[in-house]
Amino acid sequence: MLIESLGGDLMGTIPLGDIVLYLNPLHIFLFVTILVFTALIAMSRTETQVEAMFGSLDENKVAVGKKEFKHRRFLAIICGIATAGAMITGDLFNFTLFMALIGIVNIGIVSAVKQVEVLNSAYQYGLIAMMCGLPLFGGAAMILAATGTLSLIELATIPASPMMIFCALVMLIGVCGESGIAPFFASKAEMFRTPGSPFILIIHLSSLFIIVRFVEILLTIL
Amino acid sequence: MNLMAQILINVIIAFLAGSLLLGFHRKVMARVQLRPGPPIIQYLLHSLKFFFKETSFPKTAAMPFYVGITVILAAVWVTAVIVGPVAQGSLMIIFGVYAIHKIVEHNAGSSSGSPYGKLSCVRAVFSAAGELPLFAVIAIIFLLTGTMDISGIIAYQAANGPLVLQLPLAAIMFFTLIVTKSPYSPFAITKGKEIISGFETEHFGMLRGYIMFSESIAWYILLWLFLTIFFGPISVVGYLIGMIVICIITGFINATTPMLNPNHSVMAQISIAVICTVGSIIMIII
Repeated sequence: MLIESLGGDLMGTIPLGDIVLYLNPLHIFLFVTILVFTALIAMSRTETQVEAMFGSLDENKVAVGKKEFKHRRFLAIICGIATAGAMITGDLFNFTLFMALIGIVNIGIVSAVKQVEVLNSAYQYGLIAMMCGLPLFGGAAMILAATGTLSLIELATIPASPMMIFCALVMLIGVCGESGIAPFFASKAEMFRTPGSPFILIIHLSSLFIIVRFVEILLTIL
Repeated sequence: MNLMAQILINVIIAFLAGSLLLGFHRKVMARVQLRPGPPIIQYLLHSLKFFFKETSFPKTAAMPFYVGITVILAAVWVTAVIVGPVAQGSLMIIFGVYAIHKIVEHNAGSSSGSPYGKLSCVRAVFSAAGELPLFAVIAIIFLLTGTMDISGIIAYQAANGPLVLQLPLAAIMFFTLIVTKSPYSPFAITKGKEIISGFETEHFGMLRGYIMFSESIAWYILLWLFLTIFFGPISVVGYLIGMIVICIITGFINATTPMLNPNHSVMAQISIAVICTVGSIIMIII
């Protein structure tokens, strides 16, 4: 498929050997948005969750400690940068690497939280993410074996063969698991109960943006 | 016409038309339930009123994130107006805008520190899992037309007839998404009344104004997209009639259907998405 017919007209290319970075309005929109969110996260403080206690007039307050705050903010910024990289990369292998990094950092962002349910959920999501690493990298490797290239701009010009379709679907399973969307969302939803709204945002944002970008990549390959 | 003027006019049209259509939708629901209901102009008046009311901020909120998230919501829907009615650009960008809308539903709720907002935030994660596969209808349209450009899809329909006749299941998918985003929808788990107003509960004054402004534009853009990508090149009168008809249908559905619980809502959406996607692909192959 023509790359121009997906995200809009090409606005420029950066050739780095056989890997060609290319920019279109979709990439720029996603890239700029993720950077704006990352900047907002870097400068924000976290909320304090307040709940009325049963049987008394007291309140139960849950806040993020300073050490935990620094740890999670650092990982959230890394996650934002990795997602921004995944939005503009022109190479399938780089995309899978960014995806794997996002999965790892997502677990890291909630691993500092001292809540059993949240840690359980992060553990289950971690298991799914690790298992889905195989179809993610395996799909990309099989596409390389089938076509001889991982450059998206090259893949767009190669007619889709049954093997390429199969590999793309294998990668789709990997992306679904790594980003924790349906049917794997149940393993991830509990992670969002923890305080630290700006850090939780980047977990959700990275997953959704990765899906948007992968839909584009999938249609490019097919 | 000057591009800036075109953008400004289209944003104003989207806001005014979206507000009035939401007011009309509420009126239809009220009449179905044998109530008089508020005037059609009520939603628009509410939106404008909030811009002039005092804005207060919860002590527990994650600042400046709590403020920034509503401004970003308004900005991305203005972007959708530019990409859609003004430039007739790529559907993929509107898919991205919709993804950000889900993010805002998620984080407007959690950033205030309110337990109601937090519940809405967790539900937004569930609902995104169901709604994004529905939006994947654009991939089916791409497989048939070979383009994501709205102008290209309009040209395809001018030559081959409306897509609603060629991809009826895809149209059902998109219509389900419209029902999902309509007020008081059976799928609107993020704004269920048992959690007050969900993610909007702790946003007051101008911040609520931004959210209502964005919701009006979002409603207009979703209806505009549905009519454009499934009914082809239609006139202004055609858009008007189409939007009113959709509001009446969704009003009837929402007035007579109770809200589903989060699991049922997500599984119903995913089931519709899977059945319609597979059915549409089979129809394209045949």
